[in-house]
Amino acid sequence: MRAYSLYLFRRLVQFVLVVFIGVNIAYVVTHATPIDPVEQTVSAATSFGSTSPEAIAMMRQSLRELYGLEGGPLQQYAAFWKRVAVGDFGPSLSAFPTPVSQLIARAIPWTAGLLTVSTLLTWVIGNLLGGLAGYYRRSALLRFAGILTMGFHPIPYYIVAFVLLIVFGYVWPVLPITGGAEMNLAQAFDTTYAGSVLVHSILPVASLVLVGLGGWFMGMRSLVSNIVSEDYVLYAELAGVDRRRILTSYVMRNALLPQVTGLAMSLGAIFNGAIITEQVFGYPGIGFLLVGAVHAGDYSLVLGVTAVSIVAVSAAVLLIDLLYPLLDPRVKAQ
Amino acid sequence: MLKILRDLLRYNREFAAGVALLSFVVLVAAASFFSPYPAADSFVVPPDLPPSWPHVLGTNSRGQDVFWQLSFAIRNTLLFGFSVAILSRIISLVVGLVAGYAGGMVDRVLMSINDSFIVIPLFPILVLFYFVMRERMSWAWLALAMAALGWAYDARLIRSVALSLRTREFTQTSIFSGMSMRQILVEEHLPYVLPIVFSTTMNNINWSIGLEVTLSVLGFTNVDTPTIGMMIYWANQHTALVAGIWWWIAFPVALVVMTFIGLFLLAVSMNEYIDPRSRLARMGA
Amino acid sequence: MAPTGTQAVLTVEGLRAYYQVNTYGIEREVRAVDDVSLHVNANEIYGLAGESSCGKTTLVKTIAAAIRPPLRVIAGSVSYRFGDRRVGLYDLDGKELAEIRWKHLSYIMQGSMSVLNPLRRVRSSFVDFAFRHIGKPMPEFLSIVETHLKRLHLEPSVLDAYPHELSGGMRQRVTIALATVCRPDFIAADEPTTALDVVVQKSVLAMIRETQRAMGASMMFVTHDMAVHANLSDRLGIMYAGRLVEEGLTGEVFRRPAHPYTAHLIASLPRIGDTHSREGLAGAPPNLADPPTGCRFHSRCPLAMDACKRDVPEMAWISDTHRVACFAAKTGAPA
Repeated sequence: MRAYSLYLFRRLVQFVLVVFIGVNIAYVVTHATPIDPVEQTVSAATSFGSTSPEAIAMMRQSLRELYGLEGGPLQQYAAFWKRVAVGDFGPSLSAFPTPVSQLIARAIPWTAGLLTVSTLLTWVIGNLLGGLAGYYRRSALLRFAGILTMGFHPIPYYIVAFVLLIVFGYVWPVLPITGGAEMNLAQAFDTTYAGSVLVHSILPVASLVLVGLGGWFMGMRSLVSNIVSEDYVLYAELAGVDRRRILTSYVMRNALLPQVTGLAMSLGAIFNGAIITEQVFGYPGIGFLLVGAVHAGDYSLVLGVTAVSIVAVSAAVLLIDLLYPLLDPRVKAQ
Repeated sequence: MLKILRDLLRYNREFAAGVALLSFVVLVAAASFFSPYPAADSFVVPPDLPPSWPHVLGTNSRGQDVFWQLSFAIRNTLLFGFSVAILSRIISLVVGLVAGYAGGMVDRVLMSINDSFIVIPLFPILVLFYFVMRERMSWAWLALAMAALGWAYDARLIRSVALSLRTREFTQTSIFSGMSMRQILVEEHLPYVLPIVFSTTMNNINWSIGLEVTLSVLGFTNVDTPTIGMMIYWANQHTALVAGIWWWIAFPVALVVMTFIGLFLLAVSMNEYIDPRSRLARMGA
Repeated sequence: MAPTGTQAVLTVEGLRAYYQVNTYGIEREVRAVDDVSLHVNANEIYGLAGESSCGKTTLVKTIAAAIRPPLRVIAGSVSYRFGDRRVGLYDLDGKELAEIRWKHLSYIMQGSMSVLNPLRRVRSSFVDFAFRHIGKPMPEFLSIVETHLKRLHLEPSVLDAYPHELSGGMRQRVTIALATVCRPDFIAADEPTTALDVVVQKSVLAMIRETQRAMGASMMFVTHDMAVHANLSDRLGIMYAGRLVEEGLTGEVFRRPAHPYTAHLIASLPRIGDTHSREGLAGAPPNLADPPTGCRFHSRCPLAMDACKRDVPEMAWISDTHRVACFAAKTGAPA
């Protein structure tokens, strides 16, 4: 148990480090501009309509703190961090006066759902196919599956999403291509809404899955083809153990371990893919929010989404890291 | 290293295919030097013409010849990808080699930082970067930013090569026989490190081009220079697909996909070559 | 003069097993086992000795049907007698082979440190390997396994452990227990004690001998350590460069080695009270991808003659149980 506590501690430290570095990078980036961004943003936002002087003052104050312009450099830094730590990014400029945190909270479930479903599907299917392909090397079907998945793999998410949009939106319009659900449907926990959500998620999920499969497939296939020449697999084969049992208990189990680690490492990249996919399909997640915010010059929202993304991805990685020892008994002994 | 490339070309079909694809792409890029129209000019030819002679890939809604635009676009995109790869190689090599050879606490600290860069989602940060830079955003800046963020994954790979080299017997033998560290690094280890540098460079170029296309399509880069992403961006701005001007999008997409597949094939075949089991089978040449 | 093969549990005839590789335009054929014939009787430990890369591991892999491409059997046969049944190993199909594996023929691999699935407890290896052969319901099966372990001086609690929780010696013993739990007729063992320290090695060897005697099994025991052969093997075969060069009762071979190579191997063993320094053999073992003509030992042999460079010496009997492949030996020259 002590060994696990040590492991837990180390992982937590890493989590804090990642968030720290990430948010600092965001801070440094915003300080790359020499001009006064606050006035620029305020004037752009207030040109949208009438706003009360108190609202403008509040906006200016939160912007100055977020941009880190209040007080001396150290105070700027502290003020910035105080806001980020609490999650208070002030009011959104493009959706004034809705607070940024509220906008993000509304969008996060969509992205979380999209990412969870597509990542799970990609990981499971990709590894399964790859594992089978690595073990049954002569199967023509599996080799074909390999070529298919690896063919999609180098293509950027945008293009695949775009092509799917064209095919299923224009050429053969059977699937919806925008929105998270039917536009006029009320948000509720009933089957009609759930069904609508499902149908609307087909294309975004499909584009993420198609591109992602190849990576897992290739990794798993090469892992499996290495593992089949490991002593314990050879020995089990020599003993005449049933082939299916060898595949599941000896080969796949051992090959999946590095893939779990790989999953943690690629969450950042998968997240990137989700952002662009949301944009193409108008899926109301935080990626869509981000792009809209940039176009509207809404700094607070952009910073908010960036910070939340960093924390969310790091937290997901932490979760996977913490689950890993449950799968690998050797870790406890470290 | 040259011998490795020659072997790969002769016996590895994937490598040969990758080289063929990339050569084609580079040829198209080279054609840009012979373009009769400057890249930035618009409305030099009748707009919205489908592919026909003399506009073999058609013209777009801005009155530009798609083929010549494409040649500029792919040239800029390739140059961009290449610059990012070179810049980030420097960081990857330094971090990877130092961590691998030094070991101990240095290694642990470097790898913690390294892993942070792997986990952090880079896209929002690049978007933030663009947001802050706006009109002052240039390709040089973007390349620098991407190189400063995208070195981590490759650094880890280089580190594991360095680790395995450091502990191998022939290194110990070289040290005992009185070779200086610099000699060892250059004469003994470099032949092992170069192939992995090569394959990670290919992957990195893919990654940076992919990111550039994505950012450009969203309009988050400098809109004046033609790149593949930019072509798609402008096509979207002019709702090319709805207007039926499919060639404006199809050809850039096709060419960039060719680039990706070509680079990918090169990286994969190089990886297979450095796999120790295939190397053992090749010994005795 | 030659003992009949009908009593033998294992009969190998004219076996050739080569590695054939072709990558990046380079074709290589390594003749790891080149025309070997031998037999192993019931209730007998046949030791196989020789230096590294002489082909003994390949030979034992071949008789245990543990070979995979690029290693292939080019010619010859391997046949077993299990009770009243005779089987040609390479005539069997997959299902028949799986049926005799472990039940009649088991194999202790070189590097038995890592033969157990690292992610599962030891018990699951026993279940995977032996359950279907013993054919009893699980609780009874497990108690059979525990009895077997206790007989081999192993704690039954070892079944609950993960492989990495056991020491090297422990793992080795577990592997031996695993290989013998079904009481096979024949056990092929490849360097089962080489990675262990001397103290553990002694107890593991004792365990092996005890088990073999108790079960009346036959065994082919491969190791380059001549001292182990002296203690364990009933009969001894010496291999060099893919060929069997000498074979006989262990005592005979040690007292009167007929082949110059054997003589060197035995002379290299230290003896108490012996003070003169040992010399290594000049030269290196031949490249099996490009073996020399004639006797493969001729370039290092102190007794080499012209005939040795040209012709390959065949195995010839110099007593009822002792044979050797050497021109010098046949002419009666002293070793």
